[in-house]
Amino acid sequence: MKQNRTNAMPWSSDVPQTATPRRWQTAPLSRRCILASASAGFGLFAFRALAGAEGPLPRHHHPGRAKNIIFCFMDGGPSHVDTFDPKPALKTHQGKPIGESAVTKRSQSSANRVWLGSPWEFRQRGQSGLWVSDLFPHLAGVADKLCVVRSMVGELPLHGQQNLLLHTGRILGQAPSLGAWVSYGLGTESRDLPGYVVLNNDWVPNGGLENFGSSFLPASHQATQIRARGIPVDNLAPAAGLAAQQRTLAKLAAQDREFAGLVSDPAAIEGAIANYETAWRMQSAVPAIADIGGEPEHIKKLYGVDSTDEHQRFYATQALRARRLVEAGVRFVEITCPSFDGNNSPWDQHGQIKKNHEKNALITEQSVAALIIDLEQRGLLDETIVLWAGEMGRTPHTPKVSDTCGRDHHVNGYSIFLAGGGFRGGFAYGQTDEFGNAAVENPLDIHDIHATLLHQLGLDHEALTFRHGGRDHRLTDVHGRVIREILA
Amino acid sequence: MKGSSAVAAWLLAASVAGADEFFLEKIEPLLKQRCYECHSHAGKIKGGLVLDSKSGWERGGESGPAIVPGKPEASLLIQAISHAQKDLRMPPKKMLPAAEIALLTVWVRRGAPDPRTGSPDAAPLQTDDAWEAEYHKRLDWWSLKPMRRNDPPSIADPLWSREPVDRFIKAALDDAGLSPAPPADDSALRRRLSYVLTGLPPSFHGDDHLSYESLVGKMLASPHFGERFARHWMDVVRYTDTYGYEWDNPAKGSHEYRDYLIRAFNDDIGYDQLLREHLAGDLLPEPRIHPVTATNESLIGPMFYHLGEHRHGSSLMFNGIHQEMVNNKIDAFSKAFLATTVACARCHDHKLEAVSQRDYYALAAMFTTPRWTARVVDAPGKNDAAIAKLKELRDAIRGEMAAQWTRRGAFQAPELKQWAAANAPALKGIGAPLATPDDLPKLAEKWQRLRAAAQKANAAFAPASLDGWVFEGDGFTHGKTKDSTPLIALEGDAIIARLLPDGWHSHALSSKLPGSLRTPPQHQMTGSHLSVQVAGGEFGGHLVVDDHAFQNETVAFYTNGEPAWRSFADAVLKNGAQQVAIEFCTAPLNPNFPPRTGLAKGLDNRDFGHDKRSWLSITGIVTHDTAGSPQDELDAFTGLYDSTHSTTDPWQRIAAWFSGAVARWCDGRPAPGDREVIDWLLSTGLLPNRAEPGTQLADLVADYRDTEASIAFPRTANSMDERQTQPARYPLNVRGNVDVTGDLIPPASLRMLPGRDAADRLALAESLLAPGHPVTARVYVNRVWQWIFGTGLVATPDDFGRLGGQPSHPELLDWLATEFVREGWSTKSLVRRLVLSQTFRQSGQVSPAAREKDPSNRLLHHHPTRRLEAEAIRDSLLAVSGRLDLRLYGRPVLPHRLAEDDKKRLLSGPIDGNGRRSLYLQMSIMEPPKFLVGFNLPDLKLPTGRRDVTNVPAQALILMNDPFVNAMAEHWGAEVAAGTGSDEEKLREMILRAFGREATEAEMERWLDREEPSSRAASKRDWAAVAHGLFNAKEFIYFR
Repeated sequence: MKQNRTNAMPWSSDVPQTATPRRWQTAPLSRRCILASASAGFGLFAFRALAGAEGPLPRHHHPGRAKNIIFCFMDGGPSHVDTFDPKPALKTHQGKPIGESAVTKRSQSSANRVWLGSPWEFRQRGQSGLWVSDLFPHLAGVADKLCVVRSMVGELPLHGQQNLLLHTGRILGQAPSLGAWVSYGLGTESRDLPGYVVLNNDWVPNGGLENFGSSFLPASHQATQIRARGIPVDNLAPAAGLAAQQRTLAKLAAQDREFAGLVSDPAAIEGAIANYETAWRMQSAVPAIADIGGEPEHIKKLYGVDSTDEHQRFYATQALRARRLVEAGVRFVEITCPSFDGNNSPWDQHGQIKKNHEKNALITEQSVAALIIDLEQRGLLDETIVLWAGEMGRTPHTPKVSDTCGRDHHVNGYSIFLAGGGFRGGFAYGQTDEFGNAAVENPLDIHDIHATLLHQLGLDHEALTFRHGGRDHRLTDVHGRVIREILA
Repeated sequence: MKGSSAVAAWLLAASVAGADEFFLEKIEPLLKQRCYECHSHAGKIKGGLVLDSKSGWERGGESGPAIVPGKPEASLLIQAISHAQKDLRMPPKKMLPAAEIALLTVWVRRGAPDPRTGSPDAAPLQTDDAWEAEYHKRLDWWSLKPMRRNDPPSIADPLWSREPVDRFIKAALDDAGLSPAPPADDSALRRRLSYVLTGLPPSFHGDDHLSYESLVGKMLASPHFGERFARHWMDVVRYTDTYGYEWDNPAKGSHEYRDYLIRAFNDDIGYDQLLREHLAGDLLPEPRIHPVTATNESLIGPMFYHLGEHRHGSSLMFNGIHQEMVNNKIDAFSKAFLATTVACARCHDHKLEAVSQRDYYALAAMFTTPRWTARVVDAPGKNDAAIAKLKELRDAIRGEMAAQWTRRGAFQAPELKQWAAANAPALKGIGAPLATPDDLPKLAEKWQRLRAAAQKANAAFAPASLDGWVFEGDGFTHGKTKDSTPLIALEGDAIIARLLPDGWHSHALSSKLPGSLRTPPQHQMTGSHLSVQVAGGEFGGHLVVDDHAFQNETVAFYTNGEPAWRSFADAVLKNGAQQVAIEFCTAPLNPNFPPRTGLAKGLDNRDFGHDKRSWLSITGIVTHDTAGSPQDELDAFTGLYDSTHSTTDPWQRIAAWFSGAVARWCDGRPAPGDREVIDWLLSTGLLPNRAEPGTQLADLVADYRDTEASIAFPRTANSMDERQTQPARYPLNVRGNVDVTGDLIPPASLRMLPGRDAADRLALAESLLAPGHPVTARVYVNRVWQWIFGTGLVATPDDFGRLGGQPSHPELLDWLATEFVREGWSTKSLVRRLVLSQTFRQSGQVSPAAREKDPSNRLLHHHPTRRLEAEAIRDSLLAVSGRLDLRLYGRPVLPHRLAEDDKKRLLSGPIDGNGRRSLYLQMSIMEPPKFLVGFNLPDLKLPTGRRDVTNVPAQALILMNDPFVNAMAEHWGAEVAAGTGSDEEKLREMILRAFGREATEAEMERWLDREEPSSRAASKRDWAAVAHGLFNAKEFIYFR
């Protein structure tokens, strides 16, 4: 991690000049050579220092139990009463009106809607006996690792607001994403990789790309997006080939230093020059990490990379990449769900909940379970938190029971889970009422989860601040508390 | 656990002898320990609540009494300590132990006995008085004080004495013992000027032989000056082409607003006028009409309010959404025009400024008084000539048709009998009696019965008074037709498409003409129901608008050609909404057209809804008190069934019925129901409806159609319509909580500014423009200074308050502001003054002394090197490579995307944006143009007076590898390769174009050096590589 300038790139003017200095001539670099040099110098300097005078990193406030977070974002809102929150009463009362007392503004509700039982059976799993429905056979297999929170309460049953709340702690957004805060708080352990990566497929979630943004934090903390198909990262493929690019960069080094001598602020120009050095490394480092070709077959199979379903393959690839990224030192990796039917958001089953929740489960749940298994067998689960959460749950009721009916938006008590990273496995925290319609015990909001996640990383959510617009801002704004009961 | 603690507490309570002792022993110590820190006179008084006296909790705080004796569940205090509500949790950080909560609950249930009689503070807590004192203290702030007229100081240096600006700057430098930098070299200065005034490289303008002064004049006169300054202002007002959130709906007419700004800056429209138009363009008695483009410029101004993010649904559906949007509007207004953060006062009086929570809600009331809807921004009367001609032609065609039908003669019984026998399937509706002519007597009886019943039922429906209703658009203002007016077919052989009933028909002359009819709020109309008889198509329909909501998805699009009744019962007002109204509108005047994808059936997801024919008929408006709608009184059959016929032969009666209707129409005296008869006769071909080629009728029809074709589609934009509205009274949200509403606040301006009594937006605008206003001109002049020099005299252009910066040269700021107003608020005069100053013409050389004494250059001892803004980088790539398309104005160009999502209309456009300047790229909140985001395009939701400038590796990756940059290099490379001249000459020209200066010898050697032996002539590829290299030089994206 030393910032050793003698390891500067070959076009740098720091390179000892030869007898014929005006031409920098060499055979084109091989990919291997580039990879070797890519691990040799400036990335860390660039990623950390160019972001501004941020002080030493990480900014631990106390020893952290975990180092990384993998956030499996279940965009659209999986139904809690069909996954982790069993409610037999919904079956016995199916078709009966919910009545005025069950109506809440945190739910798309009205008195004449009717209760809807779950189409899936619930069973107790593992040693712990944690309830998981048959919708998630693979996650059921790792039930003893899951810390389910069944009492999440949001603000309004709307995707855009809840997405922004989940990501930025504000229903209006205009604040950095959780991943950006983690990157800001801990920095990246990797020289050539950013601190926050979103494994995505050009999907823009409700609320917009702001969900992945750095807002007022330095721009280096915003998410770098890696695609499952096509070019993995924008602008990483050398436009003119590496050799040609290298020649151009050598010329630019000289050109830019001449310019730097003429300007009032040479530091800005020097910074921009240094960016080219980092960018050069990223061109190789990021694709190398994203390439899962070298993973053993049994691992690929574990994740489901061999699936016949295209979307499951995408998700499995992304989950496997997530593990590779945290191994390489990326602090926060987020995986989005592929949209398989062009719906506004993947888990948003206002209709056809049976068919399409099954489809979403097929796409995602094997890979998430595999991630937990794989992290554990590598000894990484202790230091890696797997967060599985949508922005909302779904109503335990529906306008009319039918084969194609669905469930609507619900933030008045829904389920998420955390695994690894010091969270208490095989455990369910909080309770909803007998219909799963309202959190009645230990209600938590997303600020509490944010605070607890930061706590596990060694960060105090009240102390991790950034001054902007004359005020110290934090992820949890004025809310949040660390929930010790869900920690092991 | 909880249950057992409660029991324990009960036992405890029971064991205490008296109620007073219970309080003194158990409750008071608890309150002292847990609550007094924030709720007592000894501690703080948060939320206005004190618990150190009985009267304290009885009176309660901002949310009302804290305790309802005997009813813990209704007591705010118990709710708060139970952490039952998310936004009311006390103590905020840590919940009390369960036993303590139980104890307090028991106390309240027992009636909250509290023996404390006196109060530590005898005087009742007067939060208003406290605010009053604080308010007056806060008025003592530089930006609220009157502007001072300062004479420019005298200085010794003659060169710096010519321009007053320089005298202020030089004097301050002299005071600090610093000297200005030497003048910039000519090429650097010209490049700087070119970017500052037009955002384009100097090579684009040519003319390196002009003097600097002439160049300034030329660039100020360039249409690209307007583009450059419009984009600056677009940051300030959070310009966006879409509304973001879940569906990223198009912001109707945003580009009209953008083009309005470009024209205004180019025409040097005074800032006073622009401010008036932004705030109240719809209220100006004399709107400003652009003579060349025939645009009602003033009416476009209020689009300013509509920018920013809009949510979905409406206020009635999800409480809170509307209030958030209002907050964004107030934020944008107060930052853009006043550099004040009024939005901070949504939940409480401002923490730092002289802005109360009531001030905030007074602005909310003012801004929610008008209808937020689409307006026609074409100059009034633009289509008058065409419309007059169409009316004349329609009359003439009617005359010719009448003559033709008269010539045809009366219908004859045998003719009809024979026709009916051959056309059985057509015998429906009007034609039904022809199917069973022998039953006429029976049918007549039935008709009379039905007609009587309908007439009786219809007595319950009263024609609505149209007081307070507002019509908009040529479609309706010229679409009021008398019964049976012919609708001329716009294509095909038929001449008359149909006859129009009495009413308003937006398409009576042309379905390009827009029309909207806006009702008053439902509760102001008589009756509990409104029914309107409508027909419409091509996305004509209605919106139910809650509370003048900014984005309203309660929309219906009509697909019925025959008028049908639609009924609207008065809505139940909830979630703080004050009123519900209805707008009947064609697509161009529908403020939310196109709506989110899927809501407008038949509209392709890729269709942004521009240039659509759309029509709407309104033929009846009634109010009533019970559900239902008026019934058809079957007028059409009067001529058949009434008893005045002299014959009993059914076919003769039918013939007489038809003939009578046609004859009356030809005579210009149609009876009720004749229209339906004639429409049926036209549809069956029984009445001729064609013109023989070469006849006068054919000529008239051709002329009609040509004239109709010459009418342009209307230009509309979201704006305001305050006609016939009552001032809103906006409910104050206690602690910002939308579920806890306080007083209804009437419209007013900010108390701390002159003209507080301004009760509408025009008065507000005029108050901001009053002579000597302390803020308005200062704020704008400071922005312009920043646009020229990179940093404002006040470095925080959106905040002149206590969290903002102080002016570096207060006397200069006041002098400039005063002078600016004196010169008619002219932006160009101000800009000219600044760029002609010696201050502007300095080089970037920094002396060691200056670096030491004033490292941030607040005194302007040199001109700082600056990175180009995102748009200028992209525009330079286009300009230098020869790909720039110079056209001004127009609809947004979609940015290039690697993946599309048509559900959200995130569609991809050409890689180079068709060569258009960056300000024409579609600014989507959901996914703004990536290239621009890479170089700090600001958040499109928020007013941004000053952009960030980051320096990150992603920018290097963009310039190295983005396909757009590569395409520009190839474009330029191909042009260079195809040109004449030696390689040296070509390279010199390239460097001149890229950097605006002559090439150095080192550069020539550097970039002429090629990979392959140089015996071969340089290829397109070689030149493209050089071009790509020059694009990546830091000099390309920085200017000094």
